[in-house]
Amino acid sequence: MKKLILLAVSAVVLTCNLSAQTYNTLWIPDTMSGTTFNLNLVDTFAQFRTGNQTITAGVDNKFWGPTLFFNKGDTVHMNVHNGLNDSTTVHWHGMHLPAVMDGGPHQVIPPGTTWQPYWKVTNNAATYWYHPHLHEMTQEQLTKGIGGFIIVNDDEESALALPRTYGVDDIPLMLTSRRYDNSNAFVFTNTAYGDYMLTNGTPDAEVDLPKQYVRLRILNAEMERAYNIGFSDNRTFYIIGNDGGLLNAPVSVTRVILAVGERVEILVNLGNDNIGSTLDLKAYNNGQAFGFPGGEPGTSGEFGSLLNNIDFNLLHINVIAATNSPVIAVPSTLANNTYWTANNATVNRTVTVTGGNPGQPQNPFGFDNSHFEFNTINHTVNLNDIEKWTITNSNVFGHAFHIHDVQFKIVSRSTGSVGTHESGWKDVLYLPKNTSATFVAKFEDYSDSVHPFMYHCHFANHEDGGMMGQFVVTGGTTGVNEVDIASKDFTLYPNPANDRLYISFSDPSMQAYYVRITTVTGRTVYMLPRPQLQGGIDISNLTAGVYMLQLTDEKTKITTTRKFVKE
Amino acid sequence: MKKWLLRYAFHSVAILIVLIILIVLQSFRYENKSVIGTTISDFSLRNIDGKNLALKDYADAKGFIVIFTCNHCPFAKLYTKRLNELNTKYKALGVPLLAINSMDTLVYEDESYEKMQQRAKSQKFNFPYLYDNMQIVGKEFGADHTPHAYVIWKKNKQWTIEYSGAIDDNGAEPTKVTNAFVANAADELLGGKTVSMAETKSIGCAIFYRK
Ligand SMILES: [Cu+2]
Repeated sequence: MKKLILLAVSAVVLTCNLSAQTYNTLWIPDTMSGTTFNLNLVDTFAQFRTGNQTITAGVDNKFWGPTLFFNKGDTVHMNVHNGLNDSTTVHWHGMHLPAVMDGGPHQVIPPGTTWQPYWKVTNNAATYWYHPHLHEMTQEQLTKGIGGFIIVNDDEESALALPRTYGVDDIPLMLTSRRYDNSNAFVFTNTAYGDYMLTNGTPDAEVDLPKQYVRLRILNAEMERAYNIGFSDNRTFYIIGNDGGLLNAPVSVTRVILAVGERVEILVNLGNDNIGSTLDLKAYNNGQAFGFPGGEPGTSGEFGSLLNNIDFNLLHINVIAATNSPVIAVPSTLANNTYWTANNATVNRTVTVTGGNPGQPQNPFGFDNSHFEFNTINHTVNLNDIEKWTITNSNVFGHAFHIHDVQFKIVSRSTGSVGTHESGWKDVLYLPKNTSATFVAKFEDYSDSVHPFMYHCHFANHEDGGMMGQFVVTGGTTGVNEVDIASKDFTLYPNPANDRLYISFSDPSMQAYYVRITTVTGRTVYMLPRPQLQGGIDISNLTAGVYMLQLTDEKTKITTTRKFVKE
Repeated sequence: MKKWLLRYAFHSVAILIVLIILIVLQSFRYENKSVIGTTISDFSLRNIDGKNLALKDYADAKGFIVIFTCNHCPFAKLYTKRLNELNTKYKALGVPLLAINSMDTLVYEDESYEKMQQRAKSQKFNFPYLYDNMQIVGKEFGADHTPHAYVIWKKNKQWTIEYSGAIDDNGAEPTKVTNAFVANAADELLGGKTVSMAETKSIGCAIFYRK
């Protein structure tokens, strides 16, 4: 028992020592741009603490991968290679794209496989992100650090006098925290909260920022914790963008709550700060009512943490000299968004948070008294419909509701009017306990009666526990009614092939819904959703041998397998 | 993996203190049941030289350092030089080192026998590197990550596990190792003592066993 007390005391001493602060330079993620993006997911490790390294994973060896720059209007091609030790998926959070490209729990990429989704970027300029979405593994894989930012640029945003020099006056900030065991390994079971901040993967991060208006693109990439963000001198800052685009006009605030999955772009004026002065970006999480994620009073255990219910640093800022062409004012107007209203909606749906009540330990949080089932479609949406969804949480705790495919507009909240800080396009909304929120969205462009989109709580542990449902968008040109079984025939040429493999359909109107190339032992090497086959399939990277090509027909969804030889 | 998401509100400081102590206690315990003292049956696996190798082939061995490792795991790769050093030192003392690859070769192309041979050659392994393609030996030991180290010892003509866990406590910076778990265990066993730190956590890439 003496030993235990000693350990408890030393734990407290360790905690107190944190107040003697030293900082590490904020990691600014590498960038990738263009229209072809090669993302190589690997197991790796990082030195976060004194002593042993922490096993992590990420893109190209980095806990938290490169920032992808997309231009609105471009068609982007992703080559996602899973070099991890385990299966995964990669979801393009906030992107409007076909369900089969979306990277949800159905697009499982086995180890060693390359997945090649592509889509035309139609999203507005804003800050999005990518992250794993493998059911029941999301918390583990997110914890390991797989993910990264996506920054979309468009003409409207580019025409504004906004800071946009990446890493200089335009800073991506990924907020998350981690818990470590005594071998410095991440803890990702039976734990909702980390004990130590990792801002862009940097413990105790600091950054030099120029004496001018600076743009921070802040993402909450936590498992569960929400952040009540503000500056240490309570200065006013300006919200310019939400999840899916710029607001019509900046909104001035001194605090903003960011729940898991949400992004906010802010401008902060450092023009009146002295060079050499410092400022902290902080989470003012002390004293939040129970139900605020991270407001629980415990310091340990599944729902406690050293960061719970306290104010703590997110980023230490050192003010340095201004750049040559600083932004010195906040634009008075930003975008010219026309939002859907509740009156535009022709379909109303309700989703209710259920489960998770004290006294029902065998009933995790869910929606509408059910939990995620791989083969259950919970809602069917007609293509081009404008719908109104009301999410109700008369439950014991707050949640973060996220829906794939669309950006929505929050039109009402049971707590009163919708906050000006969340008045733009959103794909996640914070749903405090005992409240409801209503949004309107248009489900356009992509229909697919087979592959669903997800809606779920973005708390990784809630999502893994089944707080997720599925919807399909149907109608439009890809109906399944005119089935012509005879049209699914095809041949592969040349065979044997060397560099490129071509597919010849007996019916020229036939299209491939999915192509999967596997070895004869069944190991998947390529997953090609709706491949563009005119130029053939690039097989130059395959080792010589016999392969199976499984092609799923767009109309019938029937899968046919053909053998080919790679020379 | 489903979790029961019951929430608690803690009202009393006393409960908190008890909780801290419990958690500290928890964090020093290991999730798996102890394997120390477990008997290991002999096995025969194909070495990279094409010949099968069994424990009984080492008539004079007092014990073995058994390392479950693999070709592709970055954390396992950090230990190549240290494995050579361990084998050089302890083989001479009657405790040879055996490396075993129990990864699922159907899933991981990088873990093929040919790639094991290439890796052993390029990294100049001075120890056997055995191909456990049916994953039988890995399962018997309960190896869960690469690298996962064991020290087994001959007791009453049987091989028993005397150490299980990490090789040491710093993967990337060998000069900063403060506890060389495997070497310490071997030293203690050679000195006729029981291993003082008999179980630690192996960290690295998970070994997935086929059903
Ligand atoms: Cu939730």
